[in-house]
Amino acid sequence: MGVMTHSGRIRVRPLTKANLSIQITLIGLTLLTIYSFSTFDARNINLFAALGEMLNNFRMLFFEPRLKNTDWAELWHALLVTIGLGFLTTIFGAIIAFFLALLAAQNLAPRWLAQVIRAGTAFVRAVPTVLWVLFFAVSAGLGSVAAVLGMTFHSAGYLIKAYSESFEEIEPGVLEALRASGASWWQTIFQAVLPASASALLSWTFVRFEINFSTAIAMGATAGAGGIGYNMFMASVYYLDLRELGALSYAILLFAMLLEWLATRMKANLGAKG
Amino acid sequence: MHLLQVDALTKRYGHETLALNEISFDVRPGEFVAIIGPSGAGKSTLLRCLNRLIDISSGQVHFDGVNVSSLRGTALRRQRTQIGMIFQHYNLVNRLSVIENVLHGRLGYKGTFEGILGLYNEQEKQEAVRIIESVGLGEQIYKRCDQLSGGQKQRVGIARALVQQPKMLLCDEPIASLDPNSSKIIMDTLREINQNLGITVLVNLHQVDVALRYADRVIGIKRGQLVFDGDPNLITDQQIHQIYGSESGDLMLNLRERYAAA
Repeated sequence: MGVMTHSGRIRVRPLTKANLSIQITLIGLTLLTIYSFSTFDARNINLFAALGEMLNNFRMLFFEPRLKNTDWAELWHALLVTIGLGFLTTIFGAIIAFFLALLAAQNLAPRWLAQVIRAGTAFVRAVPTVLWVLFFAVSAGLGSVAAVLGMTFHSAGYLIKAYSESFEEIEPGVLEALRASGASWWQTIFQAVLPASASALLSWTFVRFEINFSTAIAMGATAGAGGIGYNMFMASVYYLDLRELGALSYAILLFAMLLEWLATRMKANLGAKG
Repeated sequence: MHLLQVDALTKRYGHETLALNEISFDVRPGEFVAIIGPSGAGKSTLLRCLNRLIDISSGQVHFDGVNVSSLRGTALRRQRTQIGMIFQHYNLVNRLSVIENVLHGRLGYKGTFEGILGLYNEQEKQEAVRIIESVGLGEQIYKRCDQLSGGQKQRVGIARALVQQPKMLLCDEPIASLDPNSSKIIMDTLREINQNLGITVLVNLHQVDVALRYADRVIGIKRGQLVFDGDPNLITDQQIHQIYGSESGDLMLNLRERYAAA
């Protein structure tokens, strides 16, 4: 078999099964897109007017932010409630996760136990946070209690996986050395495992805090957990006030940036101090 | 009176693999014993059976009159404090300082909570500082271990073992990752510890020439069996051939001749 095709040209990319299936998928998606556009019912819509409206909405949202139904004091209070919800669930989740992760790490716990915990946490993670909140709402009622329980549950599931994988990256020799000198299991954990993985644990906890902060906003809007999410919900659904929604978004953005800056600094400090 | 008595020690992995096959030898207090043999012969397994990092399949190990083979839990921890161990890859917690790593050698003497919180008493700290200075790391005492050279790391490893106040040191390939100069410093340090402190030293070595130069006694292991046990001056070229297999044996002998000439 030569490199020439029937027409006498040279083929650069061989026609393998993988290439063929990618090409078929792309062609299929293109055809579907064309078809769906052709079936839009756009009779009552003037495309240019609609586009103008949309840009106008964006302008109100991003360039004309102001507060109306929420005052400044209330804004900061609401933001604090949301931060508190994110912080509390992260801390609870982190404490639970630390101890369970020790038992889920294959280099620290018996194999069967590690596997049981892993399977359990995989299930906890597979169910979205919102569903856990709704699940706890059955017993606790829709509100902040259900939100705290549900978010803690999912955070723990997430952090157990992250922490235990950090623990497993520790050099096996270090654990062996401490065992050889007569150290007990708990001593090995706190004298070798924790110092060696501290920076990784901190990174993962911050990542989870960011996730929990945004989840806390959503929970305020959907699960009655209060906080800035609730104010956004009101501004959006009841007052149809894009300008206020913009102001609230900026407040959240500001805090997210502050958080990022704080995380970077703490990690740098830990790296220097050891 | 022997410090260490190894009697028909056997270690089996699964049903097939026989890592150690009925190994017997005794070690007197204060001896410097080198264990030589090719990679995979079972040298590391042997050392780890002596402090029970690995469980023994059959046979007996007595250390200082105590039957090590059946120890469990706290009794095993107490036993391990009597035996220091030094590793090829140093096995330090890199993020911690020299003195923190050295103090880890005291954990076996501590209660669980004192150990978890790292509460060492003043006497232990003084002893740690003294030992760190004695291995020549007085300047590096608060340095993080990942900032040290290989030779310095190994000296931290030795200090960590010494702070245990052990009766015996097990050294698993202590110079296999070091350059010749650092290797000499480490081997000299081990010999000084042996001669000045009277601590028994068992050292696994790849380098036959180093073993012959430093040890009072050489034990040869091949495929899990003890094939030589005696005075390093009495080991013949033929026996070295036998331990290492002919081809690598030739290399060893060449090295030995060159040392003899130098």
